[in-house]
Amino acid sequence: MQKLSVLGTLASASIRSELQYRANAVSSIIGGILFQITGFVVVWIIAARFGQIGGWGLPELTFLYGMRLTSHGIFYACFSQMFEFDRVLITGEFDRYLVRPMPPLIQLFTRKLRINAFGDLIGGTVLVIAASTAAPVDWSPLAVTYLILAMIGGGLVEGAVQITLGSLSFRFLQTLPLRSTVNEVFNLYGNYPNTIFPGALRWSLTFLLPIAFVAFFPASVLLNRAGELSVPLWLAAASPLVGMVLFSIAVRVWKWQSVHYQSSGN
Amino acid sequence: MIEVNHIAREFRRAKQVHGAFGGLRTFFARESEIVHAVEDVSFHIDAGEVVGYLGANGAGKSTTIKMLSGILVPTSGEVRVNGLIPWENREENALNIGVVFGQRTQLWWDLPLIDSLRIISKLYQLDTDRFQRNLARLDDMLGLAPFLDAPVRQLSLGQRMRGDLAAAMLYEPKILYLDEPTIGLDVVAKERMRNFIEQVNQESGTTIMLTTHDLADVERLTKRIIFIDKGRVLFDGPVAELKHRYSPFRELHVTLVPNGNEASSVDDIAGVIHVEATPTSLVIRFDPERIAVADLIAAVVARYAVNDLAIVEPALENVVREIVQSGEVRA
Repeated sequence: MQKLSVLGTLASASIRSELQYRANAVSSIIGGILFQITGFVVVWIIAARFGQIGGWGLPELTFLYGMRLTSHGIFYACFSQMFEFDRVLITGEFDRYLVRPMPPLIQLFTRKLRINAFGDLIGGTVLVIAASTAAPVDWSPLAVTYLILAMIGGGLVEGAVQITLGSLSFRFLQTLPLRSTVNEVFNLYGNYPNTIFPGALRWSLTFLLPIAFVAFFPASVLLNRAGELSVPLWLAAASPLVGMVLFSIAVRVWKWQSVHYQSSGN
Repeated sequence: MIEVNHIAREFRRAKQVHGAFGGLRTFFARESEIVHAVEDVSFHIDAGEVVGYLGANGAGKSTTIKMLSGILVPTSGEVRVNGLIPWENREENALNIGVVFGQRTQLWWDLPLIDSLRIISKLYQLDTDRFQRNLARLDDMLGLAPFLDAPVRQLSLGQRMRGDLAAAMLYEPKILYLDEPTIGLDVVAKERMRNFIEQVNQESGTTIMLTTHDLADVERLTKRIIFIDKGRVLFDGPVAELKHRYSPFRELHVTLVPNGNEASSVDDIAGVIHVEATPTSLVIRFDPERIAVADLIAAVVARYAVNDLAIVEPALENVVREIVQSGEVRA
């Protein structure tokens, strides 16, 4: 409980730091939304031209895109500082996290808030709501709860991948190029029904990089399309849980690698 | 309070390849070399001591402090700080220690100083009363009030260092590690810093370990120094003993009355080691164990018309320079 209140203090400090630069905050949010609109326009054009992608029509594709974008927004709002991690290590800023009575990972995450995460969150939510009536979902309180948990789980899946790969920086100091590429792969392939990809790629995007668990599997469950999947229904339905499990494993890996921290010279 | 037994820490570093395409070859050559930053360091520090931790650049000072504060895990050896192993009980240990690195700030760069202090009081679970009381006391000692509301990025180096010290002492840690606390500060700021360190030690009994390049810090603040070189302890003991061992001689500086002296000399007096003479001054190096200061002065005054006299202690700085150059401490 005490830890949670400290977390709140740190989080509000990061928000206040960011709001010191007001013009930047506003332009970040608008920029974030514009960036995501262009991404969605591509999906829209393809769907409008060919009617559907892998059997998914425009409302379903919009729903999938919205879910993934919201998950990404949650990931970005909570864990954006993973993209600063290499710098935090190289400059020795990490030293100060280690002499404070709080887990270093939490201090890293609350270091700064990337305001453009709200662009993703707003854009994603708007798309999900816009698609919710046209897409064939049987809405019930349970379905809404599942949707929310699934989007949080999706954020945790992305977080888990970034934390696991980032923990290698303790040894190699620089993994940002690798992680940026992985982030691009998530952003690109996560927006399409996983079933359109050939077998090996589909398998890789499920088990090697667990992109399908971010939005595609839970969206399939909500859209009653789980029958088309190449994995059992229970696994697809368990996506929110997969996010939590992967995340807790990632935190362990990170702690385990952190003993290799070398600090930096003065 | 602090027990260190035979700690060592090595770093792995990619071997640099020189010559044509050196950078590219360094990248592909997976060969690495091992650098021993700390080879074998042991010492004990009691509660309430102020210890100066000295050595040349790269001697292993910062690496030691980082192992004591839980930042680095040693390659081998044992450390107990207030009974805890710093890197294993990291968060618990953090409650007992304050750390100030002179070259980087621990404060929130974009927020006013007062916000950083509030956040820290939360992190260390101070109640409002204790926070206000400690803040008032620190303000009293460090004069924080004029810049409490300014964002840390706008503070001068001296103000920032005062802020960092306040942040480190806010929760009254038992131990304070100061890594180069006076680096880059002007004379006034240095003096303020030293007063603060002295006061904290005397009033709160805080154990302080101080690394510095400024030997005036050491002479002013510490009775004991630990001197390391190439990752090993060369000397551990009182400042006076190091000076005595290494530089047992004193100097008598004499200012002569201009044109008032016939040619004379003091070379023949027993205990005089060396004399530098000019028409208006003498610098006489002597061994205080072989001739009493009073006798020497009497002899000088008998032979010269003297304007002024002064006994000069060997400066610690010279002692340290000689140790670093020769790489050993005389027994």
